Amino acid sequence: MRLFDHSPRLVRLAAAAVLAAGAAVAAPAQAGGKFIFANSSAYDTLDPHAIFDVGRVASRINLYDGLMRWFDNPPHLEPWLAEKVDISDDGLTYTFTLRDAKFHDGSPVEASDVAYSIDRILEMKKGAYSLFEGTVAPGSTKAPDAKTVVFTLSKPSAIFLATVPEIHVVNEELVRANEADGDLGTAWLSKNDAGSGSFRLTRYDPAIGWQATRFEDHFFGWDMVEDPLDTIEFRTVVEINSRVLGLMNGDFHGTDGYLPQDQVKRLAASENVVVDEQESMRIFYSIIHNGRPPMNDVNFRKALSYSFDYDGFIDNILSGSVARDPVPLPNNMWGAPADVEGYTYDLEKAKEHLAMVKEEVREITLGALAGYGQTEQAAALLQNGLNKIGIESKIVSETWPVASGKMRDEEQMYDPLFLWKSTYYADPNNWLGEMYACEQIGARNNSWYCNEEVDALLSEARTSTDQALRKANYEKANRLLMEDAAGIFVYNTKWFGPFNKDVKGVRFSPIGNGQEMRWVSMD
Amino acid sequence: MRALVLTVNRLAWFVPTLLGLLAITFTISHLIPADPIAFIAGDNATAEQIAALKAKFGVDKPIPVQLWNYVLGVAQGDFGVSLYTQRPIVDDLVGRLPATLELAFVSIVASAILGIPLGVLAAVRRNSWLDHALRVFTVSGLAIAAFWLAILFQLLFAMRLGWTPLQGRVDGWGPDVITGFFLIDSAVAGDWGVFRDVVAHMILPAVTLGFPAMATVMRFTRAGVLDAINSNYVDYQLAMGVPHRVVIWRYVLRNALIGTVTQLGLILGNLIANAVVVEAVFDWPGLGLYAVNSILQSDYNAIMGFTLVIGAVFIIANLLVDVTHGLIDPRESH
Repeated sequence: MRLFDHSPRLVRLAAAAVLAAGAAVAAPAQAGGKFIFANSSAYDTLDPHAIFDVGRVASRINLYDGLMRWFDNPPHLEPWLAEKVDISDDGLTYTFTLRDAKFHDGSPVEASDVAYSIDRILEMKKGAYSLFEGTVAPGSTKAPDAKTVVFTLSKPSAIFLATVPEIHVVNEELVRANEADGDLGTAWLSKNDAGSGSFRLTRYDPAIGWQATRFEDHFFGWDMVEDPLDTIEFRTVVEINSRVLGLMNGDFHGTDGYLPQDQVKRLAASENVVVDEQESMRIFYSIIHNGRPPMNDVNFRKALSYSFDYDGFIDNILSGSVARDPVPLPNNMWGAPADVEGYTYDLEKAKEHLAMVKEEVREITLGALAGYGQTEQAAALLQNGLNKIGIESKIVSETWPVASGKMRDEEQMYDPLFLWKSTYYADPNNWLGEMYACEQIGARNNSWYCNEEVDALLSEARTSTDQALRKANYEKANRLLMEDAAGIFVYNTKWFGPFNKDVKGVRFSPIGNGQEMRWVSMD
Repeated sequence: MRALVLTVNRLAWFVPTLLGLLAITFTISHLIPADPIAFIAGDNATAEQIAALKAKFGVDKPIPVQLWNYVLGVAQGDFGVSLYTQRPIVDDLVGRLPATLELAFVSIVASAILGIPLGVLAAVRRNSWLDHALRVFTVSGLAIAAFWLAILFQLLFAMRLGWTPLQGRVDGWGPDVITGFFLIDSAVAGDWGVFRDVVAHMILPAVTLGFPAMATVMRFTRAGVLDAINSNYVDYQLAMGVPHRVVIWRYVLRNALIGTVTQLGLILGNLIANAVVVEAVFDWPGLGLYAVNSILQSDYNAIMGFTLVIGAVFIIANLLVDVTHGLIDPRESH
């Protein structure tokens, strides 16, 4: 089976459309320019295999390339460093053919670099490692020639291609030359660049951020953008107020798109700023510990779900800036059933279900993430609802390192815990498979939820290459999870990307967060 | 002689004090139920992945063993590597410490230069309108939250009036690093354009940080001067015809400054603590933000590293205070 046997025409066509739209409203552009982005997360490392978060995605997608890449919204997967990919009929062998590309030091990107990159990820056990663990064995990726790289999977995986963009290709020779004490070059790569991406690192200071200049020899060329940026700079600015004021003042040209609504309104009112609004793929929900009484009783879980004031939270606290999402999959992801209404704030129904609970009802612990106000507000709102139906609760707000440790411990895990689930790859498995597969209990399944019917659907969808079957399975699994009240599913996030009014050509994708700068130009 | 004995005595306590600080901080940071390895490994990490990383970083061993290994490393100049970046902690500290020290130093010098004369003035004109006005001013300095003041300054001086930069330490990336102190580095390079830019960026954070320090200095100086001004030697000197101004600024102030100088040593500790907030608001790339991030991420080696460095700075500052006492107060030297 051959997929993507073409040059990235779709990428070019889509880029042309986006850029034409930008040009239609833009004044004649000046050549080049410097774009400064105020980032909330600190770039404490630039090693593309050490980190796998949305907050620092810019260093990965601007300095490095992968075989495939996600574009636009809803995200679609396109070949990038790869020219084409052949998949064997048994779904186990993926053969990528590379296009001509150069690393920033001028050496060619070769298949052996790809093989080295995936093996480095597997050996470091950091970043995107978990996406490939159990699917790609160390040393199993081969480079029969300079242009061909062959992945032989340990088991069929329908999501493998969706995770390939996270294999950021590093220059093997350069990294090996900078290894120290068998550290795989991690210390060196944390502050240097060994990529082939659209921009080449010129400065880095972990206390400030990083700066890069346009890589003229990038394989994709620069003819798609009339006046591409000369320099990009991503600076760490922790305080929201400082990011907002800096953008209004013209010191910065962009900042993250998940600001509180009061700040978004402030920015939208500024004559220097335009705010681009798009529905993203980041759900807000509450994990419920299904493995512990009384939450192991579906009626108690339903009582919880009916006790949360969804409309009050979305309309009043969040000013309607998000989209209600009744299932654990983002509304705009395929596999999300369109006809599910989900739970509402209905205390009478909550009481009815509470009355059917067989176990003794005790005080429960509502978890929230310290420093993430929305999680604390949601916990308080749920506590208010629970008070009204006679369930006692206490709120525990802890930092993410504390919470992430407890989430993997059945004894320490909170009863419910409010948090987000972001997009790491655009496939329903990113949410349903990670959150509710039985084999993931204690690892990625922090609900201790195991339903044989749901598990069979997820397992089949994870390995099948039949898209129609996968879609049907995920839709059914969503319905079952909602019926089971496996969690309290609240909303899907909207992205409000604030940019300087002179910035044109931003391409938002939930995976790249609109931070791939090769498409951007400035008046 | 006594000053020398005092100095040697303080230096002898330097290492045990740091060891005590290290043991306490190490124990507290490791008893917090955080799991930095799970955090590093990411949302999707498996239990096996986390266990392998714990073994790799040695955090699967008992806390006393970890502490012993850490102390052995520090004794050899090895502060370990960051759990997150794998970079040596020393590199991170060296990169950030000058920014914080430069800001703290400018703030404390400015607070002393302004606070001491104003304190003398308030004491000399006790109960005048000037004294009352300065008292309101100092109470404000002590009461206003640093982050609130910082934002007000930003809105007024940077956004509305456009007199100062909004944030950052310098436009762009600053001068070539020699000492890490941008004022010094730009002056040494003779790049006065960058020097002026550094000064401009320094004003708002230094004033924010220095305001409560200046208030403290002013209040202690005022109290010290009021205490000294009623002494017999002052009456004697005035009776002998020594001009009032000379009596105040040469004799009274010298006696009054003993309490103020003691306070300056303590103020330095407060300045570094407040720098966390001020650095966050003004996007100042110093140790404060590094410390906060390290604590939030439970990056043990980083927490230990900055604790040791800040502890050492604090101890040295107080040593200098003791030495300065000897210089101001001749009784200390005998």
